[in-house]
Amino acid sequence: MRDDKNMQYKRFYRVMPLPSTMVLLLLFFVPLFFTLSSAFVTEQGFTFSRIAGVFTDPYTQRIMLFTLLQATLSTLASLLVALPGAYLIATYSFRGKRLILALSAIPFVIPSILVVLGFVIFFGNNGFLNRILMTLFKLEEPPLSILYSFPAIILAHTFYNFPIIMSLVSSYWEHMDGNCETASYTLGATKAKTFFSITLPRLLPAIISAASLVFLFCFNSFAIILVLGGGPRYTTMEVEIYRQARMLGQTGSAAALSLFSILVTSILLLWYNRTQKRLALSETYRNSNRLIEKKPATLPGKLLALFYTIVSSLFILGPIASVVVRSFMASSSRSGAEAFSLKWYRQLLSLERATGHMNSALQALSNSLVIAALVALCTVPLALTLCVAIRKKEKGSLLELLGMMPMTVSSVIIGLGYYLISARIRGGLLTSYSLVVLAHMVKSIPFVLRTILPEYRKIPNSYIHSSLTLGAGPLRTFLQIELPLLRGAMLTGAIFAFALSMGEFNATLTLANSSIVTLPIVMYRLIGSYNFQGACALGTILIAVCTLVFIVSELAKGGKYDR
Amino acid sequence: MTDDGLSCSLKASYQDFNLDVSFSVKSGELACIIGPSGCGKSTTLQLIAGLLPLNEGKLVLNGRDISHTSVHERQIAMVFQDYALFPHMSVEQNIAYPLKIRKVGREKRKERIARLLSMVALEGYQKRKSQQLSGGERQRVALARALASDPKLLLLDEPLSALDAKLRKHLREEIRRIHDETGITTLYVTHDQEEALSLADRIIVMHEGRVMQEGTGEQIYNEPANLFVATFMGEGNALPYSIIPKTLVNPGGTDPFVFKPKEGKHTIFFRPEEVLVQDNKNLPLAEYLVHLQFKQAEVLSCEFQGDHYRLVCSWEGYPIISHCSHRPQSRNVTLGVRVKHIREYVDGQSVTKPLLPPVGE
Repeated sequence: MRDDKNMQYKRFYRVMPLPSTMVLLLLFFVPLFFTLSSAFVTEQGFTFSRIAGVFTDPYTQRIMLFTLLQATLSTLASLLVALPGAYLIATYSFRGKRLILALSAIPFVIPSILVVLGFVIFFGNNGFLNRILMTLFKLEEPPLSILYSFPAIILAHTFYNFPIIMSLVSSYWEHMDGNCETASYTLGATKAKTFFSITLPRLLPAIISAASLVFLFCFNSFAIILVLGGGPRYTTMEVEIYRQARMLGQTGSAAALSLFSILVTSILLLWYNRTQKRLALSETYRNSNRLIEKKPATLPGKLLALFYTIVSSLFILGPIASVVVRSFMASSSRSGAEAFSLKWYRQLLSLERATGHMNSALQALSNSLVIAALVALCTVPLALTLCVAIRKKEKGSLLELLGMMPMTVSSVIIGLGYYLISARIRGGLLTSYSLVVLAHMVKSIPFVLRTILPEYRKIPNSYIHSSLTLGAGPLRTFLQIELPLLRGAMLTGAIFAFALSMGEFNATLTLANSSIVTLPIVMYRLIGSYNFQGACALGTILIAVCTLVFIVSELAKGGKYDR
Repeated sequence: MTDDGLSCSLKASYQDFNLDVSFSVKSGELACIIGPSGCGKSTTLQLIAGLLPLNEGKLVLNGRDISHTSVHERQIAMVFQDYALFPHMSVEQNIAYPLKIRKVGREKRKERIARLLSMVALEGYQKRKSQQLSGGERQRVALARALASDPKLLLLDEPLSALDAKLRKHLREEIRRIHDETGITTLYVTHDQEEALSLADRIIVMHEGRVMQEGTGEQIYNEPANLFVATFMGEGNALPYSIIPKTLVNPGGTDPFVFKPKEGKHTIFFRPEEVLVQDNKNLPLAEYLVHLQFKQAEVLSCEFQGDHYRLVCSWEGYPIISHCSHRPQSRNVTLGVRVKHIREYVDGQSVTKPLLPPVGE
């Protein structure tokens, strides 16, 4: 078609995303290319032997199987815990419901290193749970010994993921048309019959969708396995990629393993996308919902409600609260009892001479803040200009796919790509930090895109057309009409990117050399050297950041300009 | 630069339909485009505004070819169906937006805004946010904002369709008044016949991407050029020509006019308000005038409409709608319609004008 001059404003929107597309391609595909090429290229030239070697090696085969097994078990366990809770939330109103709902949003924003720390502090041999049980039952020995084992992995994954399933399924359930069930009752079906033949089949797409998302998370889980797995017995793909690349120096086989990981992740994401589409088609979303004023009437129902309130608080709030509590405790002498102390914060702020890894804590904090600020500042304009193009339908879906691509590749693999680049360019410390910023940007683009795009799509075309007919050019229209309307979404996106970068551990650990310190990296080293309180002090700062994100994202839910 | 309004011939093809229209709007005129949904009236408006690319055809506004001018340089303002008030701006800022673009100074801007607001009867609304306004108020602000850009042509895309009936009538009068005050050439799109008839100097009836007829309200209503326009603009009865010999009453005995059967689908058409209803011989038909008489028509339904009754009758299987000042006393009535109110169509197109010359009066 002829490029008509009067379609100038369309051309404006076509040109806008070009820079960000280029940047995205550079940030994402170049590292990926480095990773994948080293899977095929050795000193002898192009070869398939590495790939073949990795796939036929019984050791790696066992790892692949274990990865799938733990992801399956974790997903099943999460489902088992989540579904009764979803039923409870969707059908009844009870005292702890708001608490459960609020708590279940936390795992969406909490960094994995914090989960690990909370888990150790809460469930560890010397953890809060054991201490409580020992005091309660006057025991000599800690009754629970679950750390550094297979159950620990599953348990941590369940704690991390069951709230995701619970909130996704229950919100879908709540918005399902309740009249179908009523119709079924009037047709003479019993409660059980109605549940299994009407409710469950309608709910199934939502369950499958949420479960596949959790499976994906567990498949790509890194920090939890690295710390809680406790060695090569319970190693997964991600950990093995990291181990091969950074501990054994075998970047080639790490790259070959990455290929398998990318393959599985892509399949899972495609599948997840399909379930999402099916979900959108299968039910009409009802905004004005049936009134839930029913309280659980029977004793089992009441117990279930109580159980979930306690379990949610215990599993979600317990570890987080104990991190905060532990950070304010220190033992005065080597064997003395622990008492309230600001020791770790004083060490953190270099007010007191720090020992071990606490040395680098202040440096890590300032590094993390600067990196996160840079990531937020760079990611938002990048995602925004992408949104501009995606909103105009032409070529939109392709760009949207491009923007979401970084999700298909785990953080460890992105980290590996940047590690391979850094090995080539051999820059100074500044270069290394720049690479960390870039890697974090790649990881946060999809999230920021998902924050801004829905808001952008809400702006009616008529606003833009109005502005144009009133005599404003495309640039003016963009700056004075579209941009101000997106201010809230951009702020939310920036805060998300900031928090994501603050808590980013997987990619940073994989790409960084020992001279690079960020908050999660130092936390990891502190955990590794059994300085848990120190780690807790850093963790508390992360929690503060996550809380901020949580509050902002809740506030942003009610659109300001919704008509 | 001349001041001769808009003339356009637009051609565009889309996936599901082709648009091919040409018409003109005289300077200072208020013209309405009317048509059923999907007839291409909104597309036409967007082509004129420049929001859709014009592949073929020509747009001339006041002697200047604007076929390929950018939207923001066309000097055409548009009021959208959803008003499109910028939600992050107050009423004042909304109206100031086009003024700032035109670099109108601060003092002058204030003055213009106050004047425009008083014109749309919203004095003192400067500081309000669009969320605080009712639908009718938003509509007025949108109109004021469009006028602030001092357009050469004002486009209104179904501006009243989201409002309730009473407000619609009131705002309709307001729009006409404002148009008369400003004298801006205006093109108004609607699907409401009443709105078009009461508002427009000229009406352009569209159907399936084409102009079916262009003319004043009276012309469109009384002399519809084709059956589509006849039935779209108000109610009417379309009957086959073949009933004429059975129903024609010619009291003069002479043969003052000739009903000639014609090739093709030959149809006659008349409006319900032209039908006289005779029940129990209370209301005599004008026997001395040439008319068609439908004897033994059965009344199927009778609806009270306030100022008249709307009757649906069946005569030999043909439905005939008529208006009557009272409720008929019997189930069977005789209907009469004078031949001067009857129009003839062949294959949907009006034939010979005047069709039936008035005789006997």
